[in-house]
Amino acid sequence: MPVGNQLLVGMSEIKVAKGPAIFTCLGLGSCIGLVAIDEQADVCGMIHIMLPEAFKDKPVDKPGKFADTGIPELLSQMEKLGASKSRMIMAYAGGAQVFKFGSDSSSRLDVGARNGDAVTKILKSLGARVLAYDIGGSSGRTVIVNAEDGEVKVRTVHSGEKTICSLKRSAKRLAA
Amino acid sequence: MDSGQQNFGLMEMSAIREMANIGLGHSTTALATVTGKAFNMEIPNVETVAFERVPLMFGDPEEMAVGICMPISGDINGHTAFIFPWASAQNLWRMLIGYAPESPEEIDELSASAMLEIGNIVSSSFLNAISDMSGLKLHATPPMVSVDIVYTIAASIVAEAEMEDAVALALETRLYGLDDLDTTGYFLCVPTMGGLKKLFNALGIPEAA
Repeated sequence: MPVGNQLLVGMSEIKVAKGPAIFTCLGLGSCIGLVAIDEQADVCGMIHIMLPEAFKDKPVDKPGKFADTGIPELLSQMEKLGASKSRMIMAYAGGAQVFKFGSDSSSRLDVGARNGDAVTKILKSLGARVLAYDIGGSSGRTVIVNAEDGEVKVRTVHSGEKTICSLKRSAKRLAA
Repeated sequence: MDSGQQNFGLMEMSAIREMANIGLGHSTTALATVTGKAFNMEIPNVETVAFERVPLMFGDPEEMAVGICMPISGDINGHTAFIFPWASAQNLWRMLIGYAPESPEEIDELSASAMLEIGNIVSSSFLNAISDMSGLKLHATPPMVSVDIVYTIAASIVAEAEMEDAVALALETRLYGLDDLDTTGYFLCVPTMGGLKKLFNALGIPEAA
């Protein structure tokens, strides 16, 4: 794996890597970008979730599209690279409602909120350790994760770039 | 197979193209009437695309833009949207209200409602044209506006459309001012699969295998 490996995680995609890599989820609106790191195994993975749950009456063509199929798939792909669920630290962002100014926009285009609820619920049921999340609101977010130092950055057009957490430093702190 | 990608025959594709041409022709005429400027549009590409590709179809995905989204109801359900890059949106504002917000934070009530009005006009003329040709009832619902990067706007529309039914289609359309080539826009149409089949039936196109 080359140093500075750049991985763009498109809609419905899951990407995992062992060693240094930079993961980017571009312009998350109602979608959610979830990242998990196992520092000890040096494995990092990211998923770009589009919808809360798979349709009951349709085959799942891309597990990464849905929160309920995608999150287990992300964890299992990371485990194949040597990661362990119990050591993983996670963060997620997205789930905004970017359309506004409309007459009754509060009741429509609410996929973002449903995505946020679904991800939160699923991670809770898995007993996942979530260090930080940044969801809701009305701004799209670009999420950039550097697997080397574990920093999770969120960029929006309205308020610039901020680091929401470092999955690695905190991992050390938790272990200590 | 990519998710949501449907393959239609030549007959269906040319029907879609013709519909889009006529519908958007009405939209551009309406836009010209409200702004007092001439507009033209081209449809370089009509294709069925996988959802994942849609947010990458409209120029630079990280460019700041104004998106106007209009859900359709009636005999056909789905979503239509116009996406104007920020500089083009500013041009439209200058034509309509005589000034333009410098940044998204400066969008006031008047500029927001001007954009919604553009959405109303272009969307309802598009839908009226399709309705006249097919005899189907189509209703435009109140539009909504978003100011963000192109990728975010397009991805949010696609995600919303996907909640309902497999979406079939996206049209790549460029709209531009005739005497001011800097004003461009993109049109996105994502009908539900069921809605598109109704349209083909109404037009007398036999269902493809």
